[in-house]
Amino acid sequence: MTEYAVVAEGLVKKFGSITAVAGVSFKVRYGEIFGFLGPNGAGKTTTIHMLATLLKPTAGDAWVAGHHIVKESDAVRRSIGVVFQDPSLDSELTAYENMYIHGKIYGMSGEELRYRIEEMLRFVELYEHRNRLVKYFSGGMRRRLEIARALLHKPKVLFLDEPTLGLDPQTRAHIWEYIRRLRDEGGVTIFLTTHYMDEAEELCDRLAIIDHGKIIAEGTPNQLKRLVGSDVIYLKVRAVNGAPNPCDALSAPPVMECKPLREGMIALKVSDATQAIPVILEKAASMGLKVAEVSYRKPTLNDVFLYLTGREIREEEGSEADFLKHVIRVRRFRRR
Amino acid sequence: MSRALDPFVIMAYRQFRRFLRTKARVVTSILNPIIWIAFFGLGWANAFNFPMAKAIFGGVDYLTFLTPGVTAMAVFTASFIGGVTVIWDKQFGFLKEVLVAPASRTGIILGRIFGDAVIAVLQGLAIMALSFAIAHNLNPYGVLPALAYAFILALGFTSAGVTLALKMTSMEGFQMVISLLMMPLIFLSGAFYPIKFMPDWMKWVAYINPLTYAVDGMRHYLSGVSTFNPLTDLAVLCVITAAFMALASKLFEKATID
Ligand SMILES: Nc1ncnc2c1ncn2[C@@H]1O[C@H](COP(=O)(O)OP(=O)(O)O)[C@@H](O)[C@H]1O
Ligand SMILES: [Mg+2]
Repeated sequence: MTEYAVVAEGLVKKFGSITAVAGVSFKVRYGEIFGFLGPNGAGKTTTIHMLATLLKPTAGDAWVAGHHIVKESDAVRRSIGVVFQDPSLDSELTAYENMYIHGKIYGMSGEELRYRIEEMLRFVELYEHRNRLVKYFSGGMRRRLEIARALLHKPKVLFLDEPTLGLDPQTRAHIWEYIRRLRDEGGVTIFLTTHYMDEAEELCDRLAIIDHGKIIAEGTPNQLKRLVGSDVIYLKVRAVNGAPNPCDALSAPPVMECKPLREGMIALKVSDATQAIPVILEKAASMGLKVAEVSYRKPTLNDVFLYLTGREIREEEGSEADFLKHVIRVRRFRRR
Repeated sequence: MSRALDPFVIMAYRQFRRFLRTKARVVTSILNPIIWIAFFGLGWANAFNFPMAKAIFGGVDYLTFLTPGVTAMAVFTASFIGGVTVIWDKQFGFLKEVLVAPASRTGIILGRIFGDAVIAVLQGLAIMALSFAIAHNLNPYGVLPALAYAFILALGFTSAGVTLALKMTSMEGFQMVISLLMMPLIFLSGAFYPIKFMPDWMKWVAYINPLTYAVDGMRHYLSGVSTFNPLTDLAVLCVITAAFMALASKLFEKATID
């Protein structure tokens, strides 16, 4: 148990009749960036809240930094830093005051606290803004301050719940940079959740794909993409009377695997799409299949999700709605 | 030892800092009692300006009777409404930051209650100063004991406000309950007129109203008239305050996010 920063065994969380997390098990090694990738409502936040001792699991066990999340919640709290999905700063206070109060609550004081506040504010490049009220901060600045604050007491494990939700591309790249530096220089173990493919791909050493409260695949980004094959071809086949089932017809080399998706789409796993496409089209024509569209791409994590669930992560993601929610929150902050 | 007190001290400090930054709260909570004293008090003071009137108010003029009551009202209002900061913390997320900390929850909530109670008493002090400027028969030696009563009252109703806020999810809900309770508690506390002239059913409500005992105790020291023994007032206030503080701590101890 000691070589793992996080161990979860069959974690379940139910809210009344809703099962938010339906039994997840995974292990996070010390020093790695481990990600939960999944669409909105998959149960990512609920999992973080359980690991951070804010919610009691309905069933299952978990240990963070070697401590049981229910029986040793105080020891867990001392070992972790958390950046919540939703804002959690006191916007009526300055950046420095937010840091100072956090340090005091975590039992730090004196020179040690002052030094550490400066160090962390410099790390996220907010030191110049330390005496400004947080309510005048941009979304990106708030996020950076939250990261600095979560690191103030030198946690062993840092939880980041959708660290770049609703931020512009430049700010996101910036925050990714901090996160990588933390792993490389600080040896902090990072558990993050995201519904952004690129974020998972950029940052995570290993990740678990989560959907409807269950982990449906786990591994390094490359391992996961290999599930799909080296290339993936998408065919849209028009329904014609008497035509065979497309996957039955086409499941022979060079196609390694065929998977029906929605609306007549099928995904074909091949090793080299440029050579396979002519062969496949010819075969489809000879079998009486009408191909309406063809496309192919190097697999991304999105293809992995599509392959595993038959849906695109983007279709389900509430990124627009989330973003708006975020904006509205921020505005409300400002008005006060 | 000092470390154990840190969460208490820092939360009290935070409540102070925030209060000073939210000017609107300062203004509204002081303005209301000023309006009562100025318009209600001065108006009735003239109406009650006849020889028999003093008998109604236990032997003092109306302003001397009224001002301790309004001071208690100011402290009560400020502390009860103070619970709204808990709702803000829920809505703006700061509560999560506190709940995930390895600090003593009791220390945190009591620190915050202490901070808000001191703020409420300071507002009461401002009203008291105004009272001395308007009413000329108040006893300056009564200020300190009256402030002590005010502080116990403030601790109690800050705790009550916090308890309510922890139970509530919406700002509107909280404000509705507060304003529903506030007016009756104020009118049935004897702040504006003596309890002994109330109809019997009102008297009974006044007797179970915690604010009554703060008004009565403060009036005893500041004006020299009272309905109960000031020690009775003190005992009742202490019991009620301890109960509300225990309730708030207990609720916060078990608080999770939802
Ligand atoms: N406090 C709650 N009460 C009821 N349902 C909840 C609560 N929190 C989350 N849920 C539900 O649990 C599911 C998972 O939510 P969440 O963990 O927030 O997902 P994610 O973070 O992956 O978007 C969703 O269906 C959500 O509506
Ligand atoms: Mg979430």
